Formats: sequence, structure tokens, C-alpha cells
Amino acid sequence: MKLFTVLFSGLLALTAVAATNEIAPSAPADVRTIMQEFQKKSATAQSVYMEFVQERVLKLFAEPLKTEGVMLIARPDKIRWETTAPYQTIMLGEKKNVAQFEFNDGKWEKLKLGFPQALERVMQQMTAMNQGKMDAMTADFNITATTGSETVLTMTPKNETVRGVMASLEIHLSPDFSATREVVMNEPNGDLTRITFHAEKYNVEFPAGTFDQNKPLPVAEIKAAVNHVP
Amino acid sequence: MFLKFLAPSLLALVVAGCASPPAPKQFSPALTPFPSECLVVQRVMFNAIGRQFPLNGYLAMSDTRGKRLIVTESFGGVMADLLIKPDGTVFVMQSSRMFPAHYMRSLMATDVQYVFGGETKPNHPFVTMLTTNHFVVERTGYKLDLRILETKPGAQPDSMFDETLVKK
Repeated sequence: MKLFTVLFSGLLALTAVAATNEIAPSAPADVRTIMQEFQKKSATAQSVYMEFVQERVLKLFAEPLKTEGVMLIARPDKIRWETTAPYQTIMLGEKKNVAQFEFNDGKWEKLKLGFPQALERVMQQMTAMNQGKMDAMTADFNITATTGSETVLTMTPKNETVRGVMASLEIHLSPDFSATREVVMNEPNGDLTRITFHAEKYNVEFPAGTFDQNKPLPVAEIKAAVNHVP
Repeated sequence: MFLKFLAPSLLALVVAGCASPPAPKQFSPALTPFPSECLVVQRVMFNAIGRQFPLNGYLAMSDTRGKRLIVTESFGGVMADLLIKPDGTVFVMQSSRMFPAHYMRSLMATDVQYVFGGETKPNHPFVTMLTTNHFVVERTGYKLDLRILETKPGAQPDSMFDETLVKK
């Protein structure tokens, strides 16, 4: 459960970075500058569409455990996190309202969610980050940065209890901040979760029903609409 | 907060589940054909106290080394980690507030043995096999809807079946 919350803390940071289609003139040299770029650019995009591959790397397993899906965010406070393989599930959030659907036997079922509070908290964090409010991040993490072929922000939890679950969180960016490459959550025992993003599209107009918490639009229709955006 | 509530609830469910089993259904673990060495990837819906908890299950199986089940929430956080040796000895490698060790030993291990083989009794009164990759485990206190997404043949590392490597 802690990992769940921590992971979303990472995702919200990612969102802040990814929600931009501007190109920075040069890679910032220090954390403060990068954070300022974060804040500046997070305010520019009204929406973002991203496809992801999530790899859960456990030392025990010979191969990573993979899932694939899409993440959609629309300002000010809508999010859709959908896993499309190897199973299908949709998590939706808007302000304090959250919903989850599971696809089985040819139809979607709305779940009587067991952990709605966690998802609700995530949404509030996401909303704050999309509005460029970085205070929570700097309050909870010590942050360092490296630049090169990509910019990597490494965030170490200040809280010892949280560090017992997550050793660090890495956000990998392109040098010009134009795209988020991946997010890596490192655990103290060497296990990690890596989320790699691709096919980003910004300021897209999502079709009606994309964030509907009773009958969400099928992802195929969203992809078709998004792919028509230049 | 919710987990604080759920854990004792599960304890109550465990007791209730043992006390009043539902009507027997015919299911034989001998009918579940799995390779002697494999990894079974599952999507599980755990239903309890009127709520649904979607989980992922990863079961490494070896006829000679045992079974190792790792249960995670959707984002990979480990909720339960269980090792069952070929002789039936159960080791709780990692428990959680949602799945306490006593629950894992008494019920989770039994369910694994019934669904994935290893149980010597001919029928399991709690398990229904709807298809070869879809099982329902229904006890008085909870219900599991278990779907097998993929079965990957092949041996998993020895460390998978080493009970001495308990996560601290």
C-alpha cells in the first residue's frame, strides 16, 4: 500500500514534467533551475496522452513482469490510467471521485473499490502538480539531478519509513525536457518498477466519455481520436 | 486506515470460513494440467466485506521444488509472498496487513494447493473451475475470482524456492 502511494507520488512528478510541448533552450544545470522548468512547463499543457510499458523487476523472477497501457490527463483534475495487457483495467479520477473497471468475459464491470482513498489522494496530488505546485515534492524528497544524453532527477524520500519501501525515484527526461522517457522506482532490496513512456501527445482534445466514471469510452476510440491530432 | 479495518475483518472471515463451509462442489485438483516447471500469471479479484480488490498473482511451480506465489496490487506492491514445499510445508515469505500470515498459512496455501495441484483430497468444496483458466474460490468470508492469463513453461531460479531467503 505504501508502494502504491509512493508510486503515484512518482507519477505526479512525471505528469508535471510530461505536460509540456515546449522545447527548453538548454538543459538546466542545477536542481533549482530544473524545478523551475518543471513548474513553468507543467502549466502549459491542457491535456496529455501517453502510452506506457510498466516492468516490475523482482530479483526472484528470471524476467520482468510487464504490463502495458495508457495514461491520460486533462486539466484541471481528470486522469485515466488504463492497463491494456495482459489484463484490462481502467482507473479514473476526477477531484474526489474515483472509479475502477475490470474487463472480463467481454464486458466491463465497475468495481466496488476496496481502496478508494488511495486513488483519491493520488488525484489530489496530480491536480496540484498539474497546477505547478511543487511544494509537496520538495517537502518529501531530497532531489539531485544529472544531465547528459538525458536529464535524470533522482528523488530520495526524506521520511525513513518511506525509504524502507522506496529507496529512490528516478525521472528520466530528454535533455530539452520535451519528453519523459521513463520513471524508475528503486526499492531497498534491489527490486524496481520501471515505467517507460512513448507516443506522447499534448493538448489533445479527448472525446466525450474518456473520463466517464460510469461508462468510460473504449480506449480504441480514444486512440483513434488522439491519432487524428497532428 | 482501511487496512487496519480490513485485517481484523479478514481474521473474522477466516474463523467464519472454517466454521461454516458452503455446499460442496465437485472439483478435482487432478484436473488442472500445468507443466512440471512453469510460471503462472494470474489476475485475481479478491472479494471481501462487500468490496473488490484487484490483484495480480505470479505462481512459480516446480514438481520437485514447490510452489511460490507472489501476490501484488496493480502497481506491483507485494501483498503476499508464499512458499509451499513439495511436502506441503508452508513458509510465509512476506505478509501484509491485508493478508496476515495466519490467513496465508491456513487459507491461501490451501487454495493454491487445490487450484494448482498438490492437494491429495479428491474434491475441494470451495473451488469451482468454470473453464481451464478461470477458477472461483468461494468461502463464507471471501470470494476469489481467479483467471489465468498466461502459463510460461520453464524452470524458475532455485532462489524462488529457498525458504531461507525470507524478506526482512
